[in-house]
Amino acid sequence: MADKPSDLVQGTLDMLILKTLALEPMHGYGIAVRLEQMSKGVFRLNAGSLFVAFQRLQRDGLIRSEWKATENSRRAKYYALTDQGRKRLNSETREWGRQVAAIARILETS
Amino acid sequence: MSLLRNMAGGLRSLFRKERVRRELDEELNGFLEMAAEEKMKEGMNRKDALRAVRLERGSLEVTKEVVRSAGWETFVETCWQDLRFALRMLRKSPGFTAVAVLTLALGIGANTAIFSLVNGVLLRPLPYRDPNRLTMVWEKSRDGSRENVGYATYLDWKSQNKSFEEIAIYSSWQPVLQVGEPEQLNGLRVTSNYFRTLGIRPEIGRDFLPEEDAPTGNKVVMLSHSLWQRKFNSDSNIVGKPINMNATQYIVAGVLPARYQSLMNQDPRGGVVEIWRVLGYDVSQPWACRTCHHLVAIGRLRDGVAITQANAEMDTISAALSKAYPKEYDDIGVILTPIREQLLGPASTPLYVLLGAVSFVLLVACANLANLLLSRATDREREVAVRTVLGATRGRIIRQLLAENCVLGLLGAAAGLIPAYWTPKVLASMGAGDLPRLDQVHLDWRVLLFTVGVALLTGIAAGLAPGYRLSKNNMHDSLKEGLRGSGSVASRRLRGLLIVSEVALSLTLLIGAGLLLRSLSRLLVVSPGFDPTNVLSMQTSALGQRFNDNAVVRQYFADAIERLRALPGVQSAAAASQIPLAGNMDKYGFHVEGKIHANPEEDPSAERYCITPGFLETMRIPLLRGRDISRADTATAPQVLLIGETTARRMWPGEDPIGKRVKLGGVDQPWWTVVGVTGDVHHAGLEADPDMQMYIPHQQWPFPDGLMVFVIRAASSPAAISSAAQQAIHSIDATQPISRIMPLETYVGLSVQSRKFALILIGAFATTALTLSLVGIYGVTAYSVAQRTREIGIRIALGAQRGELLRLLLRQGMLLVACGVIAGVIASLALTRFLASMLFDVQPTDLLTFGSVVLLLVAVSLAACFLPARRAMRVDPIVALRYE
Repeated sequence: MADKPSDLVQGTLDMLILKTLALEPMHGYGIAVRLEQMSKGVFRLNAGSLFVAFQRLQRDGLIRSEWKATENSRRAKYYALTDQGRKRLNSETREWGRQVAAIARILETS
Repeated sequence: MSLLRNMAGGLRSLFRKERVRRELDEELNGFLEMAAEEKMKEGMNRKDALRAVRLERGSLEVTKEVVRSAGWETFVETCWQDLRFALRMLRKSPGFTAVAVLTLALGIGANTAIFSLVNGVLLRPLPYRDPNRLTMVWEKSRDGSRENVGYATYLDWKSQNKSFEEIAIYSSWQPVLQVGEPEQLNGLRVTSNYFRTLGIRPEIGRDFLPEEDAPTGNKVVMLSHSLWQRKFNSDSNIVGKPINMNATQYIVAGVLPARYQSLMNQDPRGGVVEIWRVLGYDVSQPWACRTCHHLVAIGRLRDGVAITQANAEMDTISAALSKAYPKEYDDIGVILTPIREQLLGPASTPLYVLLGAVSFVLLVACANLANLLLSRATDREREVAVRTVLGATRGRIIRQLLAENCVLGLLGAAAGLIPAYWTPKVLASMGAGDLPRLDQVHLDWRVLLFTVGVALLTGIAAGLAPGYRLSKNNMHDSLKEGLRGSGSVASRRLRGLLIVSEVALSLTLLIGAGLLLRSLSRLLVVSPGFDPTNVLSMQTSALGQRFNDNAVVRQYFADAIERLRALPGVQSAAAASQIPLAGNMDKYGFHVEGKIHANPEEDPSAERYCITPGFLETMRIPLLRGRDISRADTATAPQVLLIGETTARRMWPGEDPIGKRVKLGGVDQPWWTVVGVTGDVHHAGLEADPDMQMYIPHQQWPFPDGLMVFVIRAASSPAAISSAAQQAIHSIDATQPISRIMPLETYVGLSVQSRKFALILIGAFATTALTLSLVGIYGVTAYSVAQRTREIGIRIALGAQRGELLRLLLRQGMLLVACGVIAGVIASLALTRFLASMLFDVQPTDLLTFGSVVLLLVAVSLAACFLPARRAMRVDPIVALRYE
């Protein structure tokens, strides 16, 4: 299981994208690579789900986008966290922590 | 906030489609390029790298589709596509479209029309502030019916109750306005808090003041907006000006807003109330007594007080009053009626019956359309199969078909709105009878919303079954040419079911119409008790200073009758204080000699006609015993009267009433002697049993009526003598208004008008439904004949008897009709009791009506089956066998 990229837990992709953008604005591919690096290759994302998530987050006002040049002087759309997005990230991180702790407790006791 | 942004994003994608698409293209391209570059750094060549990326991340095209279809705007876009496609498809088969739209227009148009009626009359808010807090307040009489209230009682109610914010009372008032041509108006006398109770403020001027509500200072009036426009040219300085009515000066206090139209005093023959005057009573006045039940009370409940609570409190007050004045009350409490029920209650049953009936028409139309769509579905199986093969999902195909039906529904609605626009006028001219607020019925947003909703629902309902069937089709069979009508068993069963329901619905409507028809025909043969043919009636009054003398009033009417009698073409003429079936309600209490009750409240009352000699002759009311009154019965002669048959029977059962004596009004009044007994007349309406009646000579009545109705019997059409008769009256006194110039036959007609109205509408609905059903039955038989052409050909070739074949073909259609008839009879047995209040002398389950309607339906259905079946008989076996 560890050698095959696994599917994301339902609904967590948005949170992970927000987390990735918390450091600095990034373009789509950058976000994909960063997520894969940070998860040490556990997650492999296809373009479809990634871009649907971008569209959703943008429409919810959690991220905004801007065309900029990349380090390789290519034009790319950079995504950045809005204030609202930052707030959402904080609340979701807290909530996630609570849930993980709870699940862990259940798994340990049984 | 985020919803707004979501909308904005979606709208951007919709309207700046190209730009959004380009951006997404560029972004995705960049993404894949960057991924490929990464791979190339690891030493792959570009081609391999791109391939690897595609495998890993998904192809560009698929990704684009996934991203694009994630937003809601895609749904809108495909819907739009469906819609355009639907329009194209409908344009391609104009015949089908025309029939479908016409069917729907019939159903939806009729529904919109009736709904606009229901909306205008019942659903629109009443023109009062917070109308839910308003209730009528009645005394409850011995028999449990509602009774008007006396002024003294009202004062006690008002001061003792804690449930009402305000209680006001009113009584009707018919002044003659002497501005320009003298005109008799419909008005009310009201307490000064009347408008405050209803929650209406004058548009200009002021409300009535409490101090004006006294015998000494009550000469102020309020005008309706329409009266102000009609008679006073919308004079903005009208407030404070004097106007002349009944030879008295009144000061205008204010004008009510245009949106307020009075709903009180709903008499279709009288017209709307246009003027209000302060009541101006005082307890000391003789007509302010507790037993003077002539005032109507209306109250506004305090916030938070429930109607049951208020009723309990009023019952307590009333019980205390009965105890304090045992001789003046026989009441056993108080009845509170919410104003909505009071004003609109009587109209609501017929209207809801109509709405139910018209929805049946829509259901039949819907079933017919479904049938039409089913036969079309057979033709479209191939089209759907091709689209399925090309990758359309079942949901998408159903959506496409539903889009088509919604377009049909909306087209039908558009066509149906045209007649609905004119409905109110047509219905008004048909004389919708006693429907209140009919003049305020028009198309508004509620009606439009209803129509669009009904149209979409109809389209979806009619298209669901065929759509489901189509999408479930086995595409392989459909794609193979020559195998026609696959799955036709299920389809035939569905069509059968539709026909059964159409027949059942039509039968129910027909039975309803039949019952109403029988009621009306029963009612029309009821004799009113007089002969209305060729009799003209007109109302006039004797107003002014000179008529303060009773002798002058009597002489005036006697002179007028002489002049009328002298006119050419006039056979006889007379006058009476009221005439039957004209909506007048004048009842008078009386006491029979030897049978006077301790409590005068328990004494009987009769309809009182104050008449001039010749009234019986002119009206052709038969004199059963004794003598008619004559000119010899003058003011100084002994006081005599005539009584009706019912009066004689109830008051002197088994006795000869001639020579018996009664007192009219109070027990301190003089005796009147009965000299004759007349036939009964229907006073309130043809359907009600005649009540007790009394005829009193105008010459002898101590307070001769100033408002009299002339009845003039002409040799021929009463219209011919109308203008001559008016001139004759004006030749005595040109200042007196003449109103309600109408043949008596019109009054008789008016009394059955609301029944006629319901009958015409339900009859029309039943006819429409029947026609649609017949088309359906015809269609099903014709379809099955067409499908079995080959079989029929073989049978004929093998020597089948034509009669036998005919039976075979008819059997299928008639079996459906039989099932429909059974279902329809069951439905009718369950539903006709809602008609009960609209029926006269006919049971809701009248066997004759049920039987004849079933016979009629079976006969015409047989004809509808027979036509296509007979065509099958003419099939040439050679042609039929070559057919496929």
